[in-house]
Amino acid sequence: MAAALAQPTTYGCSPALLLSSKAAPSSAAAVAARSKSAPGESSVVSDVVVHPIVLLSVLDHHTRRQEGAGRVIGTLLGKRDGDRVEITNAFAVPHAERGDEVAIGKDFNRQMLALHLRANPRETVMGWYATALPDENDPNGESKCIADTSSLIHDFYAGECDDDPIHLVVDTSLQTDAIALRAYKSTPVCIKNEPLANMFNEIRLAVKSSESERICIDRMIGSNSTEGASTNEDETAALQVSMEKLLEMLETCSEYVDKVVDGTVSADDEVGRNISEVLNSVPRIRPEVFDKMFNDSLQDLLMVTYLSNITKTQLTIAEKLNETLGK
Amino acid sequence: MAAVIEADARVTSVKLEGLAALKIIKHCQESLPTMVTGSLLGLMIEDGVLEITHAFPFPEPLDDKGDIVKTADEAAVEDEAAALDGHEFQIEMMKMLREVNVDNNCVGWYQSMYLGTHSTSTVFENQLSYQTDLSPNAVVILYDPMQTAHGNLILKCYRLTEEAVQLKQSGKNNFINPRNIFEEVPVTLNNPGLIRSLLRDVGDGLHGPYGAEGSGTDTTFDRLDLSTNPYLEKHLEFLCSWVDDLAAEQYKFQHYTRSLRSNVDSRSKGRKAKEELAQAIDEGWARQDAPKRMESLLMSNQIRTYCDQVEKFTGGGFGKLYLTSGLHGKDDKKAAA
Repeated sequence: MAAALAQPTTYGCSPALLLSSKAAPSSAAAVAARSKSAPGESSVVSDVVVHPIVLLSVLDHHTRRQEGAGRVIGTLLGKRDGDRVEITNAFAVPHAERGDEVAIGKDFNRQMLALHLRANPRETVMGWYATALPDENDPNGESKCIADTSSLIHDFYAGECDDDPIHLVVDTSLQTDAIALRAYKSTPVCIKNEPLANMFNEIRLAVKSSESERICIDRMIGSNSTEGASTNEDETAALQVSMEKLLEMLETCSEYVDKVVDGTVSADDEVGRNISEVLNSVPRIRPEVFDKMFNDSLQDLLMVTYLSNITKTQLTIAEKLNETLGK
Repeated sequence: MAAVIEADARVTSVKLEGLAALKIIKHCQESLPTMVTGSLLGLMIEDGVLEITHAFPFPEPLDDKGDIVKTADEAAVEDEAAALDGHEFQIEMMKMLREVNVDNNCVGWYQSMYLGTHSTSTVFENQLSYQTDLSPNAVVILYDPMQTAHGNLILKCYRLTEEAVQLKQSGKNNFINPRNIFEEVPVTLNNPGLIRSLLRDVGDGLHGPYGAEGSGTDTTFDRLDLSTNPYLEKHLEFLCSWVDDLAAEQYKFQHYTRSLRSNVDSRSKGRKAKEELAQAIDEGWARQDAPKRMESLLMSNQIRTYCDQVEKFTGGGFGKLYLTSGLHGKDDKKAAA
């Protein structure tokens, strides 16, 4: 009954690792359990933080998958910090699935990892990703996040990582309104020390980005249309957007306060405290001090503008002279 | 380099996919303060639009191109081994990526830049070799990790003008308008459908574990930061050093002219002298060891870029300053009433 490595049979990619689970009954081989893992133990990974670049890589790989391929897989790179795993990078790995057999580009994975480590030696293998696999047996064409073959691939990655591998599933089936993300880690189910099946436990997942990544993503969200976002933005226009947003938020706030005063909305202590804290954080500057600050900054700016204009004029004169003398 | 883009139409705009942009940003940001380079993969689509869909970093030893941080000897020692490694790395990486159906055309390269410093001879030479060896449509994307703060993304795309390429190829020591050396190609950020829907999820923050990412408020308000001094100080510092460099370069020119003149003066006098002098000077400038004009032209171009950046920044600064004063004045009136 054990999920075991079977004798390799001939298959598509030649230098690939071939796995199959003939013996294991399909229902027991991979069980997607939705229970959260027990927190508190430092050796157990309980949180996964994913950077948006990983999600974009996965989706890009999914769009570029082989014709007829159900799902795509790849290696996740990142670093581990206590019970938190941060996934910062990913690369695609070719694989093929047929029935309950899987072929993974093992050599490809090794070479690609070597190349990645040369460019960025700080990242290590943290697990693997997959997109949702359309279920052939399901009449509605529904797809599932964990397939029978998942445990075989997971076993392969267990050999590649130092710790337990993390399994990230990006649900590309679009059956709901969103692209769902799930992270799993697996625990073997044993009876009398015989490994019987893998149980995939869902663990907490968060998306986090660094400041510059966030700026880039905000820019892309901001103009989420087909034309695309320009990378050159007008400073004044950007300022206007910021101010409008600020104004909008202030209005929402005062509206809420008005409603509470009128009695239409019941007061929430927490919100009230937050509002008063925000109001208190506005610095109170005396007019004469403020005037001085304002004038100082203004003069600095004017001075710098003046200097840069002089420099530019000099450059233009030099250009003109060169142009006329050079002929 | 295996693949070459067909050169029938000149690139007029660049579409950068979000994935490639994030890869560039990640690489440049993580390697700070080292300036790093990498390769761009993509496709040429019709109407002069270049689509960049993938990017990968060059390995660490190749950072000799980031001349700002590295000293000259270090770069010289590592130069040859690294260049070879880098080339092999690039070919290997492209071979691997082709297996997972990534666009396999090298369309240019990217580099991190420091405060908009793009007009250097290293960037110039690199870009020239890309444009002559690979394709006339090769571009360079420059990402500025220093300026990308306060909610503004600085990602620029440049290439050399035909004029500059021709001048360099002819080997002449001629003058060219500094503004016509590099030309900027407009960049837009684009994403395929699936990624757009993911971004929408991130944007509204309703579905999935995006937490604080939602609604994108964080970076919109970063723009309201009033502190201008560190940025301007850095700029002035850079301007000073570049102007100094330019002055040194000018001095070299003057020195060379004087030496040419004195050579001729010592030999002959009288009516013929003038003709001889003119001839000797022409010859002198055509010689190999004559100081290169390109250096000083690149410098003046760079200085102009700094000035433009300063102006743009101060422009925004004025706006913010008056905005603050307006808000403050209102407060005072209310307090008085």
